[in-house]
Amino acid sequence: MGALLDAFGIQTHLLIAQLVNFAVLFTVLWYFLYRPVMKTLDERRKVVAKGVEDAREAEAALKDAGETASVITRGAETEAEGIVARARDEAGTERDRLVKDAQARAEGIEKDAEARAKEEHERVLRESEKEIARLAIMAAEKAMRKA
Amino acid sequence: MDSNTGISVVLKAEQVGSLFGLTLTNSLLMTWLVMIILIGFTFYFRRKIALIPGKLQVGIEWLFEGVLNYMTETLESEHYARKFFPLIMTIFLLVLVGNELAFIPGIGSVGFHAPEGFIPLFRAPGADLNFTLALAFISFFTIEITGIVVLGFWKYGKKYVNFSSPINFVVGLIELLSNLGRIISFSFRLFGNIFAGEVMIVVAGFFVSYFLPVPLEMFEVFVGFIQAVVFAMLTLFFIKLGIMEPHGEEAH
Repeated sequence: MGALLDAFGIQTHLLIAQLVNFAVLFTVLWYFLYRPVMKTLDERRKVVAKGVEDAREAEAALKDAGETASVITRGAETEAEGIVARARDEAGTERDRLVKDAQARAEGIEKDAEARAKEEHERVLRESEKEIARLAIMAAEKAMRKA
Repeated sequence: MDSNTGISVVLKAEQVGSLFGLTLTNSLLMTWLVMIILIGFTFYFRRKIALIPGKLQVGIEWLFEGVLNYMTETLESEHYARKFFPLIMTIFLLVLVGNELAFIPGIGSVGFHAPEGFIPLFRAPGADLNFTLALAFISFFTIEITGIVVLGFWKYGKKYVNFSSPINFVVGLIELLSNLGRIISFSFRLFGNIFAGEVMIVVAGFFVSYFLPVPLEMFEVFVGFIQAVVFAMLTLFFIKLGIMEPHGEEAH
């Protein structure tokens, strides 16, 4: 056994040295390489999970907001329709009133104009009768003077 | 290599000096070099870790997550996968970098001449049984201790010493032997592969110095990777076997 170990150069202190080497390397790599990398991986996994969760929430919120918006829009539409209908009604009565007013006024103006025209006619007639009479008197005077 | 000295193949790591009266081998030096590289990289990389990763971080994360997912599948538990990830990953990285570093030009050729011939300053850690045996011990004890911690001492012991029937007793003994044999198989698999690769390249280089070693080296780069994967994966599988409930033999 001793010869075999010697043939392969096995020496207790070399063996121990290699065990210590491994222990040192193991410890250093564990603390300064594996742990930080694993921590980073876990952290990133958490961040990604949170991102996905946030996205899902945002989507839900968006859907919610969309529904609210459509409800509001629908309400606004019905209200607008009501307003338009009422406005149309009001406009209709207003127009009728205006038209009636206008008609009445127009009739008034017509009557007025007719009356005034008649009066003028009569006045003109009266004046022309007077003129004719005067002319007749003048003609009679002339005729008498000649005669 | 001096062509007039023939091929020199040394089974054990050569001594390149001594530290506090203890021999310092070239494979131990190389292991330290690997550690410096890995730890240096760690401290360089550590400051660049961010939630929004750079290209390097994406690559590292890809590796880590892939390994972790595979371990979770194998162990059927993310809890255990995360617990054993540092061990499996460290085994993989240490063996991988140790194996592949040997192919960096200069690593095998820098050395000095001694009375017994040329001694390279660095030697692949895998080509030294001290290194592979140390890893095998780490693997072995992790596996056994995990089994005892997870299943409890008596339940775990029943896998190996079982008096419920003669057959179970023999099965338990065989199991025990095969477990102990893992130390040998773990250490010699890695040692044999890496050492044989070095020998093969040296021999090929001795006969045909140009071109022939190139495909062989490419193959050895591949072997170096595969052996790192194998060592790490076998440790993983044996951990899984260790924490599995003992078979309900009575039900058979």
